[in-house]
Amino acid sequence: MTDDDDLRSRLRRADPAAGMTPIAPDRASRLVENTMNTTTEAAPRRNAQLGTLAAAALVLIAAVGGWFLLRPQDSKPTTPVAAPTFTDIKAPGIAAKCVEPTADRLKTAADFAFAGTVTAVEGSTVTLKVTKIYRGAATDQVRVAQTGDVSETLLGSGKFETGQDYLVAASQGNMLICGYSGEAGSQGLSGLYDAAF
Amino acid sequence: MNSDDRRQRFEAVAPAVIDAVRRYLARRTDQATADDVLQETLLVCWRRFDEMPAVEPLPWAYGVARNCLANAERSRRRQGRLLTRIWQLDPPGTVTAGPELPDDELSTALSALRTEDAELLRLWAWEELSTGQIAVVLGVSANAVSIRLHRAKQRLRDEMRKLGTSAGHEELKEGRRP
Repeated sequence: MTDDDDLRSRLRRADPAAGMTPIAPDRASRLVENTMNTTTEAAPRRNAQLGTLAAAALVLIAAVGGWFLLRPQDSKPTTPVAAPTFTDIKAPGIAAKCVEPTADRLKTAADFAFAGTVTAVEGSTVTLKVTKIYRGAATDQVRVAQTGDVSETLLGSGKFETGQDYLVAASQGNMLICGYSGEAGSQGLSGLYDAAF
Repeated sequence: MNSDDRRQRFEAVAPAVIDAVRRYLARRTDQATADDVLQETLLVCWRRFDEMPAVEPLPWAYGVARNCLANAERSRRRQGRLLTRIWQLDPPGTVTAGPELPDDELSTALSALRTEDAELLRLWAWEELSTGQIAVVLGVSANAVSIRLHRAKQRLRDEMRKLGTSAGHEELKEGRRP
């Protein structure tokens, strides 16, 4: 193997990084700090005041661009709350893994659930006329502020369409996705609502 | 795993990764690209930190850096197409990017090799990786690395011989060209 050794040492003598000075410690720590912060900032953030805007006859629901259990707590930095499965903090929208929906979880998680018909879709705001309240305060209409790519995680056609009937559940002002909201005719969804409420 | 714990573990492993990846990039690209790709590599390492092997993280990190560098070069080539016309009038001196080596013969011999062969030799001699570790960087089997590395060494020797020098006896002929 001495041929190999010679070849290797000749290559090593030509190593362009041989005379490289180590990175300054403060630059290294700045790099590390930037790295960890950049990724955290990219995590889904939410509008803090939407949850408190539950008016008498109008409830605002902000549809979160991530899995509802992983949404950041309002007013706190983006740390994931306890979740049954592990998911990377940065996982955006539908990349997050969804557990199979169960009536039990829906019952525990949802503080507001209703059946309704979409009357208008304007920009990112969807207005629904309520036909039945499963849980929560009675209301005539619900406005859903869609943020992010949440529409694709709705059961059925994947998005709100005028004239269609939907079953929608929410927790603290955030629409539950991952199989808990969607077109009323979607397979299993109405059964899930009947079992939960 | 909570996020504080994750941060702490990343902070512990990051200095070694930064140092190694900086060298890896300095051997393969220019300073500006190296800086960009180093930051990008760290971001990917942080995002995929759970996949990073705890025992021997460097070969894995080299693999990430390799992909990030390839991406950077791809996007530069895309931008470069705009300049094609200018290049046709005034062609660039070298086709391959990367730093110049102090050993001209070796440099010429290396650039005569296929890219894959030259990269195997660099990982072997400069990053000082074993065949198993090179396999992690390239995402192939150790067996394949072993065979290809053997051939790559042979080809490099052949190229050097063509240039009138011999890898086995360079001590006699050593001397940098002015």
